Amino acid sequence: MNATFSGAVRVLVGSSIGKAGLILLGFLVAVSVWVLVTYPLDFGTREWSNPAVWADNPKAVPPTWTNIFPGSDNVAHATLTTSEPYDVRTAGSVTAETYRLPLAHNFDGFPTFISFSLEPVTFQGRPPLITLTLERPDGGTVRLLQHVPSGGRDGETGPFVRYLDNPYRILLSTEETFRSALADYHNERYGTDLGERDLRGFGDQAAFGTPVAGDGAAFEPLQGEYTFVVTATFADENDSMEGAKVVIGGDVFGGMGSDSQGRDLFVGLLFGFPVALFIGLLASTLTTAIGASLGIMSGYLGGWVDTAIQRLADVVANVPLLPILIFMVIVLGSNLLLIILVLVAFSWPGLTILIRSMVLQLRSGQLVEATKALGASQRRVMIRHIFPQTAPYVFAQMIFFTPAAILAEAGLSFLGLGDPSIPTWGQILEQGFRTGAVYVGYWWWVLPPGLLIVLTAMAFVLLALAIEPVLNPRLRTMR
Amino acid sequence: MALVRTLSLRAATLLGVLLTVLVLLVVTLGSTGFSDRILTAVINEEIRALRTAQATQARDTDALEEALEVRRQELIEFYDLDKAWWERMPATVFRVITLDLGEARTLRSSEGSRRVSDIVLERLPNTAILLTTSLVITAVIGLAVGVKMATRVGTRLDRTVSFGAAISFALPAWWTGILLILLLSFQFNILPSGGMFSTPPPEGDIARFFDLLKHAILPIITLVLVSVGPYLYAVRTMTLNVAQEDHVLVARAKGLAESAVMRQHILRVAAPPIVTGLILSLVGSLGGSILVETVFNWNGMGRLYFEAVAGTPDEGLIVALTFIFTLMYVVARFVLEVLYLLLDPRVRYSG
Repeated sequence: MNATFSGAVRVLVGSSIGKAGLILLGFLVAVSVWVLVTYPLDFGTREWSNPAVWADNPKAVPPTWTNIFPGSDNVAHATLTTSEPYDVRTAGSVTAETYRLPLAHNFDGFPTFISFSLEPVTFQGRPPLITLTLERPDGGTVRLLQHVPSGGRDGETGPFVRYLDNPYRILLSTEETFRSALADYHNERYGTDLGERDLRGFGDQAAFGTPVAGDGAAFEPLQGEYTFVVTATFADENDSMEGAKVVIGGDVFGGMGSDSQGRDLFVGLLFGFPVALFIGLLASTLTTAIGASLGIMSGYLGGWVDTAIQRLADVVANVPLLPILIFMVIVLGSNLLLIILVLVAFSWPGLTILIRSMVLQLRSGQLVEATKALGASQRRVMIRHIFPQTAPYVFAQMIFFTPAAILAEAGLSFLGLGDPSIPTWGQILEQGFRTGAVYVGYWWWVLPPGLLIVLTAMAFVLLALAIEPVLNPRLRTMR
Repeated sequence: MALVRTLSLRAATLLGVLLTVLVLLVVTLGSTGFSDRILTAVINEEIRALRTAQATQARDTDALEEALEVRRQELIEFYDLDKAWWERMPATVFRVITLDLGEARTLRSSEGSRRVSDIVLERLPNTAILLTTSLVITAVIGLAVGVKMATRVGTRLDRTVSFGAAISFALPAWWTGILLILLLSFQFNILPSGGMFSTPPPEGDIARFFDLLKHAILPIITLVLVSVGPYLYAVRTMTLNVAQEDHVLVARAKGLAESAVMRQHILRVAAPPIVTGLILSLVGSLGGSILVETVFNWNGMGRLYFEAVAGTPDEGLIVALTFIFTLMYVVARFVLEVLYLLLDPRVRYSG
């Protein structure tokens, strides 16, 4: 009973388990702060659930670092963007800008896709001509694509801007000109007999390979230095193109791989940090606030207030949490705050019952008697004299309840009932499970989010274990 | 007589819980308009089906529409949709509390019955197999290791197991299940990843039993993994608490053997809270079964609940199942009270 708040903190820092918990917690808080500073708050709706953001990523591929495993030599994902023109030539009012995008392809494999996109293009009268050419390590050059943005429509006056709202993006392998250019190239250089149709589904292989002797379209990877050359020919000197991008789809992607929609799991998992802490801390703060104040009132005021609170606590404590939580979310809709409130509404009784029994002893103690004799009001006694003595227990309960709240939300998300506007670890896991990632071995999709949930819960469980001796001095003497 | 009084007081509280949960469910469904929406959808569905069926025969479309409108009114009356939700509520509450659970809209039992009570009775044993088996395993491990830890507080064993207990507490059951599937089912292909029987199930009762056993291993390991840590830690703490009481010191001073001290003077005293902890962990895994059964595709109550809420929610089924879950919970709690009375003489005599 004589534990103090600062004493609790001292025990926490003193034990090795407590230190481990504090270090973990510090890490979680640091990442969360970083995420809050760098991410937009509406990340969930604006980026995570917006397929356009992830269009250029390979789908459901493992992280890049898996290449360090022996025997895996997967094509790395590469995004090539134009910056400064390599060459600018002018003839009269016509300007030709050339950009070179080099790429070292040293993998025993082919890209999963090659995409080409343009940022806004501005022109005064005649639209510019944009070409994409590939210089291959075998010394050959293939003109892959020519593109002319649509010109001014009736009644539209210049300058014209294209691809401002609807970006231009194509997958090269779906373009007929791309396939026929490559077929011609291989026929001429390697003496094959390929047609445009033969390269359907093999376009990316034709671009990054040499034909294997025999019939049909069969290629083996050609390693070496490739260069994509983008040329934009403008009719007016005021015409411009903001940039172009070539994306080489890999078999591996980013720090944590991607999901079946091509979303960068690393980005999504990072966003989960502050969300998990928010859920855990808000739920536990509210729960302990309600639990402690009802417990103090119940114990100190006694009488009908006591009876009413205890009956209520008895009933609420016996309600199974998860079924009720599922029920409420189904009926009232999935909203993170609602989930937290329901969690709080059914979790306070444990603390109330504990605090009441403590207050019953404190009430008849000398300190309280003396304060009352000095004329302190009931409120003052409860807030200034009873609450501080229960504070370490309240604090411990708060730590203890935090992982429970995080796990409850994760479980709910896993059933597909999470708040769709805020991505959480549980939701990432749910999507992985729902799309069968577990049964085809997409471990990078289901292991990291679960590990992070465990790690976060662990931080608080360790703190709770470390603080236990404060509340139970018998355990303290033994260590 | 004090015993009876205590028990009936507890029974009354637990009945109160049942009633409160039920009223809470029905009020939430009614006041949010959810109930009206679902019933309207049901009626619309029925009318649409009727129209499709009649459209080929009926020539006079006006007459058909009129007939459909009459039918709609009948249905509205049948479902009491013409009354406000609070007028429908008492009947629903009374129906459910007398265990008349109604019929499911789309779910069926394996024999094709649509009565909720049939479906529940079919699924309940499947959940019971999982929960009781894992409970027994948890109890055995928890008691053996927990007591051992209490005699060796501060040693490396104690610290290691404490740390393990923390991990066990932090592990979500469903993720542990996924982990085990990924490892034992996908990577090494030792155990089936889900379901209760192979397809097609093997012939013969013995073969079927072993098939069931094989499918139950992963879910049971999962349940044990997540519940054993907190439990053995609780056993350790409670044993430790009692071990420092004066009467234990006296027992030792009398020269009793250490095993006798442990059995008669420590564990006997610590028994009530140890049993309480066990039942509480069972009660906790009741809710957890919703997740674990979903992961392992196990045809129990938990998965039934998930099926009822997934897709178009079946209102009647949800209310019935939430009620059944609460009922199981409350029954477990009552068993706990009785056990407590049997184990703790103080409660028995002081009343």
